[in-house]
Amino acid sequence: MNERVAVVGYKQTKHTIDSPVARERMVYELVKSLYHDMGITKDDIDTFVLASNDFTDGRTISEVFTVPRIGAYMKDETKVEADGLNAALYAYMRILTGLYNTALVIGFSMAGSEFRVPLTQSYTMDPAYERPRGIINFYSTAALQAGAYMKKYKFTDEDLAQLTLKNIRNANNNPFAARKDPGASVEKILGSRPLYLPLREAHVSTYADGACAVVLSSKKTAKKFTDKPVWIDGVGHFMDTYYVGDRDLLAMEHLTAAAKKAYKMAGIKNPKKEIDLAEIHTNFASEEPVLTEALGLFKPGSGKDVVKSGASAITGTLPVNPSGGPLGANPVNATGLIRLAEASAQLRKEAGQNQIKGAKTAVVHAQDGPGAQLNTVFIVRR
Amino acid sequence: MPGDIVRASVPITFTYKNRVGHALEQYLNGFKEKKILGVKCPACKRVYVPPRTVCSSCHKPIDTMVEVGQTGVLKHFTIAHVNIVNGEILDAQQPYIIGLIKLTGASSLVSAIVKAPSQGTIKTGMKVKAVWKETAQGDYGDLTYFEPA
Repeated sequence: MNERVAVVGYKQTKHTIDSPVARERMVYELVKSLYHDMGITKDDIDTFVLASNDFTDGRTISEVFTVPRIGAYMKDETKVEADGLNAALYAYMRILTGLYNTALVIGFSMAGSEFRVPLTQSYTMDPAYERPRGIINFYSTAALQAGAYMKKYKFTDEDLAQLTLKNIRNANNNPFAARKDPGASVEKILGSRPLYLPLREAHVSTYADGACAVVLSSKKTAKKFTDKPVWIDGVGHFMDTYYVGDRDLLAMEHLTAAAKKAYKMAGIKNPKKEIDLAEIHTNFASEEPVLTEALGLFKPGSGKDVVKSGASAITGTLPVNPSGGPLGANPVNATGLIRLAEASAQLRKEAGQNQIKGAKTAVVHAQDGPGAQLNTVFIVRR
Repeated sequence: MPGDIVRASVPITFTYKNRVGHALEQYLNGFKEKKILGVKCPACKRVYVPPRTVCSSCHKPIDTMVEVGQTGVLKHFTIAHVNIVNGEILDAQQPYIIGLIKLTGASSLVSAIVKAPSQGTIKTGMKVKAVWKETAQGDYGDLTYFEPA
């Protein structure tokens, strides 16, 4: 059995809305350069976990094409049809068994150029109820949740625009982000195309072509790879019921439960004080207050104060998505894993212009399903 | 790299004949009589609409159908300016309202279109009632929308 697991290497592509290279080449170049940076080869990896999806890839058992590119030929390999942070969770557990010491985790998609994300989302809806009715989808669910939060806590359209702008500005300084909008303003966000109000086009994450790869190692072998391991000290993973009408869209009890489990594992008693930054998976800007409050990072309903005080800005008391988050790039399947890579960069002081001073402990979050039905939480430390 | 990017179009067409299952069959059969049916969990007493066969919370089978009210309270809503059709986000002809409604006697909320003579009068907390097609046929379109009660 292994007792502790660390991120010992990470790399992401420069995400774009139209990749100059095909998926397989993108994956190959990313993994090869990560191995090169780390001074390792495929032979140093014991097990491989991919995150992709047959619908986003447009082919069944789609890893047959990517396995050779990541170096998993004649190796132990598996795939999850979920976000890459779930793949990292599987890899983490595989290493804990003691049967493996190292794992490569990779998530990728061509969400910018090859398929319509809302179409693949629609295939996850109940074919016997939601799909024929056409009312509930990822967008309308997020809008219902946003409306509920805004009404209950007097969070205005201007507050939401400010929050969106915070993320766009962070993305502007992130060399990997696909969305670059130096001219972004509250007025432009408020005037962007209405979708399901209060949600507008400017609030939606940026579907992109991209990939992210992370190497995990047991404590036993971590030193061989880096003198800057980022330890995974807590994990939690919970799913709420499928039906949106059965859930409390604001309380997000399942996310709170996942967070509590992860905090307990990591020995964190007061996340508001002990967490230095959060990298969270938001498909829409409006999810940020709901998710961060369910994670116990801010007081319930404090979204307005957080925006006004700048508490979640890079210079704030608890920065949220200093990378710009998925508003900067959402290469579906890689998006949550990128949160782990970005948090690792922060803790290793490799976050460039968006570096937060003295960050030691981070919370990382990923979601799947309409309205963040499924949530994964990691606590990572340097 | 020299040359043009070549893209292959990858159409995938499957048509399934999924059985909707016992619970939704009863729900739709109820529509023929303009009734809204739910199921009541014998353990936690929650009433789920639309009905389903297992309570997620108690992990018990549910087979007790109950009729819930035709009126309820609008809990949340969004003003939709678009429709998502085949993955494309298309502008709607005119804005419409999608609401989550707590029907009398139900524990869960049902999603539905909400209409009023003036859209601005729609507020959370208002009472709404079901409006049916004149001739119900046992499909989702029978329950056309909700309007202020």
